[in-house]
Amino acid sequence: MTGGAMNRLVPFFREAFATPLAGVLSLLACALTGVLAMGAFKWLVLTAVWPWQAAGACKDLAGFCWPFLIEKTRFILFGTYPYALHYRPALVCLILCVFAVVTCRHLVAAAPLLSARQLAASWIAVIVASFVLMGGGIFGLEPVDPVRWNGLPILLILSIVAVALAFPLGVFLSLARVQSSYPLLARFAAAYVEIARGVPMLTVLFVGIFVLPLMLPEGVGISPVLATLVALVFFHAAYFAEDVRGGLLGLPKGQDEAAKSLGMTYWQSTRLVVLPQALRRSLPSLVNSIIGAYKDTSLVVVVGIHDLTATARMSFGDPAWRDNAVEAYALVAIWFFVSCAFLSGIGRTLHRNTVS
Amino acid sequence: MKNLLISTAFLVGAFAAAPALAGDVLDDILSKDQLICLVNPNSPGFSVPDSEGIYQGFNTDFCRMAAAAILGDAGKADIRGIGFSDSMKTLVADGAHMASRSITATGTRDADPGLAFVATTFYDGQGFMVPKSLGVTSAADLNGATVCAEDGSTTLLNIADWFGDRGIEYRVENIADKTARLEAFFSGKCDVYASDVTALLSDRLLSEKPEAYTILPEVISAEPLTLVTQPDQALEAAVFWAFQVMINADQFGVTSKNVDSIVADLENQPKAVRRLFAEDSATAEMADKLGLPKDWAYRVIAQVGSYSEVFERHLGKETPFGIELKETANALTRDGGQMYAYPIR
Repeated sequence: MTGGAMNRLVPFFREAFATPLAGVLSLLACALTGVLAMGAFKWLVLTAVWPWQAAGACKDLAGFCWPFLIEKTRFILFGTYPYALHYRPALVCLILCVFAVVTCRHLVAAAPLLSARQLAASWIAVIVASFVLMGGGIFGLEPVDPVRWNGLPILLILSIVAVALAFPLGVFLSLARVQSSYPLLARFAAAYVEIARGVPMLTVLFVGIFVLPLMLPEGVGISPVLATLVALVFFHAAYFAEDVRGGLLGLPKGQDEAAKSLGMTYWQSTRLVVLPQALRRSLPSLVNSIIGAYKDTSLVVVVGIHDLTATARMSFGDPAWRDNAVEAYALVAIWFFVSCAFLSGIGRTLHRNTVS
Repeated sequence: MKNLLISTAFLVGAFAAAPALAGDVLDDILSKDQLICLVNPNSPGFSVPDSEGIYQGFNTDFCRMAAAAILGDAGKADIRGIGFSDSMKTLVADGAHMASRSITATGTRDADPGLAFVATTFYDGQGFMVPKSLGVTSAADLNGATVCAEDGSTTLLNIADWFGDRGIEYRVENIADKTARLEAFFSGKCDVYASDVTALLSDRLLSEKPEAYTILPEVISAEPLTLVTQPDQALEAAVFWAFQVMINADQFGVTSKNVDSIVADLENQPKAVRRLFAEDSATAEMADKLGLPKDWAYRVIAQVGSYSEVFERHLGKETPFGIELKETANALTRDGGQMYAYPIR
């Protein structure tokens, strides 16, 4: 065990101190990390107020107020969702996270757990289950108004579900744009993608919240959550379409021609030959877009949806805890750091796989 | 003569038919056994969720007051946090019954057919905070000052009116985020911080040295913050008089703590107190006419409290806001404020 670690450490040090310049830079980086780590340690541990101490102690000490997180974490996660029913949003978060991880593993694993078809089918089930669990009203679940869908579940629904729905739409748009049999469809796809990418996300969100309800037939209402989801799906689809189009254009023309010469129809060649290769090529940039989409989701605060960042703000709006903004934001930052680090890790693995 | 009789009969008929029509929002509350009330999602002291996600605060308690009066149980208020313009739209579109979110009653707003302004729960006005070191004692001395205020708010319009009328030169520092704006003021980037007086009182506490700042005597606007309901005569009457019960309770020294002993010993109470709580009282007669629980006045006081209790609970001396009720316009008229107890009889 130790030998294995040593075997990896020795080349690492050899690389870090290969030249005098590299050595100086390595030492500087170490010193900087050390200073930051000491600061963090002092803040989080040495001067911190321990979880079991009384909350009043937070006023006197400059460090991290752990009692705040004990008191408010549940609120930051689920917001104003009825307290007794918190198991429902918790379940939604769990299944969305699990399926997001399963899907990511699917992309990088040699022998995936589920086939592509099973994966697509389970996503439909997951999305339906999320809305049923959050909203209730059937199967004897108590109905909960979308106004009370706050915190982490709404962030996950608006990011993961939006990405899951935008992906097939993006693939369709990219295929429509590169084919030449239906020029009108290609033009339409191109115009759609360019318009969606030329408009800021805030504008799209406002259109979703204020204009979309006007376009629906009379008497049909749409909740702000659903309207925002629709807006996000249409927005992200344009970016995914460009990523996939990059993969399609990078594919040698011979692939498609060979498939056709074997007598395959357009759909057969697309499904069996072209798309699998194009998607594999575009995966690194797709992951990039997905991380961007995920982080941008916090913008929904401006249209009155209380996602994780908004509930964090409310948590220190409570007059008894008004000094604890940093702790609340730290919790949100850690969540985003962990989830984005996971996605970047997947992105790196994909990149390695594509290169090798 | 005959004509007169016919028109009188017609008038009586019209009046008899009116309440059934006018009470449909109240009927909706009663049939759903729930009162949907909109509040600001994050307004410390006025409405903000506690650790269990339940809204607490000064404004929130008037939602609970309405639920206690109409449904007999303050807990039946379904309190939802929604932004300002969305809550107006939701009310007009029948998505909620009332809103308690520090809405200033203005003429044009009240002229809108979809909204009814019912009872002013908080009298506020716009003022100025300056560092004492500036040596200014009146807003008229602020020539050439830099003012920090919220972009796009009526605050800026009021400043433009007031300073413009007096020919005072000023510069505005627009900072949208409140924390950043206060930071700019405390660090000396602007000389004056303009906002509603009650907001100034609580914002001053966020400074490291609150005693270094003073609030100038001029109040340059009137901000009667008022409860809004869907238009419905019966609902408006229920909400308005529930609020008046809370003011009357202060007038006669009734609180949630002593209301039980007062009701148990009504014989020895002043007549005005008996009229609030007795079984054959004015409030019981109103309950019959409006379809409220017979003891609605008792329930409002027992479950929510008197006006000053609500004020003290969320904004008073014991809270981080530390506002002295008697120093604001929200004291009873006999204490120099504007809260006037209407007769309940």
